[in-house]
Amino acid sequence: MTHKQMLPKDIRDLQRMLPAGALLVGEAELAAYAYDATAQRARPEAVVLARSVEEVRHTVLFCRERRIPYVARGAGTNLSGGCVPLRGGVVLSLARMDRILGIDTTALTAVVEPGVVNLKLQEELARTGHYYAPDPSSFRVSTIGGNIAENAGGPRCLKYGVTTDHVLALEAVMPDGGLERFSARDAGCELMSLMVGSEGTLGVVTKAWLRLLPLPEGVRTVLAGFTSVDAAVRCVSAIVAAGVLPRALEALDRATVASVEAYNRAGYPDADAVLLMEMDGTPDEAAREAEIVERLSREHGATEIRSAQEAGERERLWEGRRGAYAACARLAPNVLVEDGVVPRERLPEAVRRIQEIAASYGIKPALVFHAGDGNLHPNISYDERDPEQTARVKAAGAQMLRACVELGGSLSGEHGIGTEKREAMRWLHTPRALKLLRDLKRAFDPEDLANPDKMFPEPGGSESGPLIAARALSPQVERLVSQVKECASLGRTMAIVGGGSRWKAVPPDCVEISSAGLSAVLDWDRGNYTVTVEAGVSVRALRAALAAEGFHLHWPDFDGSLGGLLAAKPWPRLRDDILGMRLILADGEVVDLGGKVVKNVAGYDLPRLVLGSWGTLGVMVDVTLKLRSSPRDVPAVEDPVSFAARAWQKKVKQAFDPKNLFNPWFHS
Amino acid sequence: MSTELSRLLTDLGEKSSYDAASQCCRCGYCEQACPTYVITGNEARSARGRNQMVRLLIEKRLADPASARVGLDTCLLCGACTAACYARVPTADIVLEGRRMLAEKSHWLARILCRLLSEHRGLLAFGLKAANLAKRLGLTACIRPFLRLIGLPGLALAEEHVREAPLTFLYEILRRRPVAADPQWLYFAPCGPNFLYPRVGQATVAVLEALRGNGNFLDNGCCGLLAYNYGDVEDARRAARRNIVLFEAAGGRSPVVGDCSSCTAFLKSYPQLFLGEPDWRGRAERFAAVVLDAPELLRDAALPPLAGLAPATYHDSCRACHGQGLKDAGHAAMRRLAGPSYRELQESDVCCGGAGAYAFRNPGLSDELIRRKVGRIAATGARLVAASGTSCLIQLAQGLKKYYPECEVVHLSELAARAIAQGAQDGTQAGA
Repeated sequence: MTHKQMLPKDIRDLQRMLPAGALLVGEAELAAYAYDATAQRARPEAVVLARSVEEVRHTVLFCRERRIPYVARGAGTNLSGGCVPLRGGVVLSLARMDRILGIDTTALTAVVEPGVVNLKLQEELARTGHYYAPDPSSFRVSTIGGNIAENAGGPRCLKYGVTTDHVLALEAVMPDGGLERFSARDAGCELMSLMVGSEGTLGVVTKAWLRLLPLPEGVRTVLAGFTSVDAAVRCVSAIVAAGVLPRALEALDRATVASVEAYNRAGYPDADAVLLMEMDGTPDEAAREAEIVERLSREHGATEIRSAQEAGERERLWEGRRGAYAACARLAPNVLVEDGVVPRERLPEAVRRIQEIAASYGIKPALVFHAGDGNLHPNISYDERDPEQTARVKAAGAQMLRACVELGGSLSGEHGIGTEKREAMRWLHTPRALKLLRDLKRAFDPEDLANPDKMFPEPGGSESGPLIAARALSPQVERLVSQVKECASLGRTMAIVGGGSRWKAVPPDCVEISSAGLSAVLDWDRGNYTVTVEAGVSVRALRAALAAEGFHLHWPDFDGSLGGLLAAKPWPRLRDDILGMRLILADGEVVDLGGKVVKNVAGYDLPRLVLGSWGTLGVMVDVTLKLRSSPRDVPAVEDPVSFAARAWQKKVKQAFDPKNLFNPWFHS
Repeated sequence: MSTELSRLLTDLGEKSSYDAASQCCRCGYCEQACPTYVITGNEARSARGRNQMVRLLIEKRLADPASARVGLDTCLLCGACTAACYARVPTADIVLEGRRMLAEKSHWLARILCRLLSEHRGLLAFGLKAANLAKRLGLTACIRPFLRLIGLPGLALAEEHVREAPLTFLYEILRRRPVAADPQWLYFAPCGPNFLYPRVGQATVAVLEALRGNGNFLDNGCCGLLAYNYGDVEDARRAARRNIVLFEAAGGRSPVVGDCSSCTAFLKSYPQLFLGEPDWRGRAERFAAVVLDAPELLRDAALPPLAGLAPATYHDSCRACHGQGLKDAGHAAMRRLAGPSYRELQESDVCCGGAGAYAFRNPGLSDELIRRKVGRIAATGARLVAASGTSCLIQLAQGLKKYYPECEVVHLSELAARAIAQGAQDGTQAGA
């Protein structure tokens, strides 16, 4: 799709629509919107500083009418090139939409405009004894809108989850200029989850309803030095197995500790790996958990353990961790903050491979990782003005990501794909899965104007397929696939049936596709706390089998099959535990969505989107779930009956099943 | 074309201006520290944006270099970004380099004023007294339209803002002091106290006498900051050399104490002016090493709390807290002086919008900043606010009069002098 250059007339017309001071066109001003926190640069042709939803809508409609690309932007602290306007056009800045519209401490929600800075929200909430959990390192400056676009994480998300887990609803200006509201409670396929982490490619968020948490009364911080990364990671696994979920579980390697010590003398132990762990809850809980963590650290050979309770003391323990990036930023003009993620148990191997890669490229990364969730950040200092060095550093970073993918992980835990990792998407996704992502984008934004060129590999290029071959299909799944393919070739409609408990009679014009009997546990990763099971499994049977070994799902009691449950989504919070999913699409092709890592922002969040879609988007073959180490009683909920598809859900359907072959009555 | 410095002394060592600007990795962590970004939401009014503009100017990648002018001219030079930056990128110095690259020649008024301040003080004093007398008689208000007409709206605004018009200047008063043979300190009279607020300088000298014994007035000229910011670097160097020579003639050892934080911060940065002149650099380093700003002098001084003080708060002058890292010093002194009347000021380290001639050159942004500042002050319920920079005193006096007339602004030294006088009256000894 080609885009038009903006003409002087376009600028004049845009100016006329906007209040004075809301449009920037001077060369130096445009240059100030050419970058984010990466080394990418491209100047826009105009910048709109929007102050209201109406101004956002006018701008989007204007761009649509004239086929001008636009990029929504918050504070521009993106680490993946996501807000660089590669094709020029308009940068739509939301920084001025910075009002906190409401804080409800009874319902534990806040309503904010997208330009609200994360820290400003935290400061307001702290006055009421509450906080908003996502805490990306950029939280002092980055905006909630930007955090939503990237599905940002942060140290605290081990226990409390990433941004998507704390968004309740969104209002967005969609690519057609319409204003829509999406909520996690919406019946049908769940578009709010699709919008979070979509990097501004599907619409512009103009308002967000966020979930709040009460500030914990007790917090304990423990610092421990280990003789090897392996020992530290074994300790982390032991902590999780002991039923302790620290709110933060950060790790630094020896090189990082050395560079931090040179910078701010945080007084970290002289060790091959340092863990910084923070427990919260009631004062008693925090103290009890800190004791367990200290004991397990000792048992895993920790050489030096320090513990702190009082805020100032705890902050001192954090100084070294916080100084890791700072130290790198002082070594050279630029820092590549790479962002890979692996299943937690593979961390030692990932660290070894990253160190080997670094050595072979002659670079010295400082390695910081969120050890609890397998998210690694090699920080590499370099000077972008030196092309050879820049190329070497980028190549090394790419190899590190490859290693993460090869170890069963993903391309990004919290920074997003943007422009920096577009090509790497091929390492993770099959051509068919990439086509599905592109089809979704096209269904939402047919003119390809909303942040074009991000997230997807450039068309053409190698189609060699992902680095890891997909799990083989079982004979029964093979049969389902050929059944779907046959129907698809004949244009026959199909009815997807799980346990068969949710609708009584299959319409006569539909071929029944049943996942009944698909009940195998395919991969139960006890160290990583994930399980991959086939969709036909009985939920009660699955929970009994898991509980027998001390693994749990924090769900209400449900009857019927897992696939049926997820397709009907009677309880919105099911979304918290869905990591991955294998789906047979309406053309009979099989795609793997998501993965088995707890943090994953490599592409749209399709596993969550598919929840509640009542079999209209694909045949769920298997599902990967996040497991917990302790049980919890959750009150029962009512089963929904059905849903009526809304306009944007129809667009999703169009991308997944354009001929309306699966459960067609929902969309007829 | 005015000459640039070309090389800067940064926290990471001496660098070319280009390397210093390129050290900004665009992480954006300074965004919320930048007052003009916070109030405009415009990246082209942010520290990060300005560093990029200067970098592009140096790289000659702006087809229209003049398009960078507003971005650079709206910088307050407050240095809050540098304090927030891990690499301590010296944005203010970089912005000034950018302004120098863009300036065809410096403003004639700035040039004349710089020369007068450092070389022809008698002439300047005569002119100022005439003007001040006219102001007292209410005559100057009449020339405001004329000033605007001849392209000096800033001067018209300055005339409006400046509320005090002394007829005797500080240097004239201090010259009458007896000269000490073995001075324990040297007082450096910044232009603000010298020509606008002699009471501030007198207070500082009184405090110095009480805390540190005998000392002398350096009888100095302008520190050179005016030329550095608005005029020619060479004029700034000339001013610096004069002051260094004066200091050396006065023994070259005693602490040099000043009471305008912008001025003392600049005195401390003298070595940066002489990176290419090893001899002068060494002399500048020896000089800079002994400079003290008033808050530094008062940080640990044993001062009795002022009796019966109304609620009082403290505003950090940018060049004290960001420029010299003296945030704790001013607050510590104020807390002790105000005792139970002390009120903590939210955002005390955010610029008030005074920033030298900024208030006169960017009245819109400056007014927005002073309104926020006064709002914060009013929220504390303070009836008194102290600061340590001349620009802050002018700006706060003007802003308080306009938006919160119940409150007055004083220099920290004035409070300290009051405490000492009160102590003397009580018969108790105040000493360091």
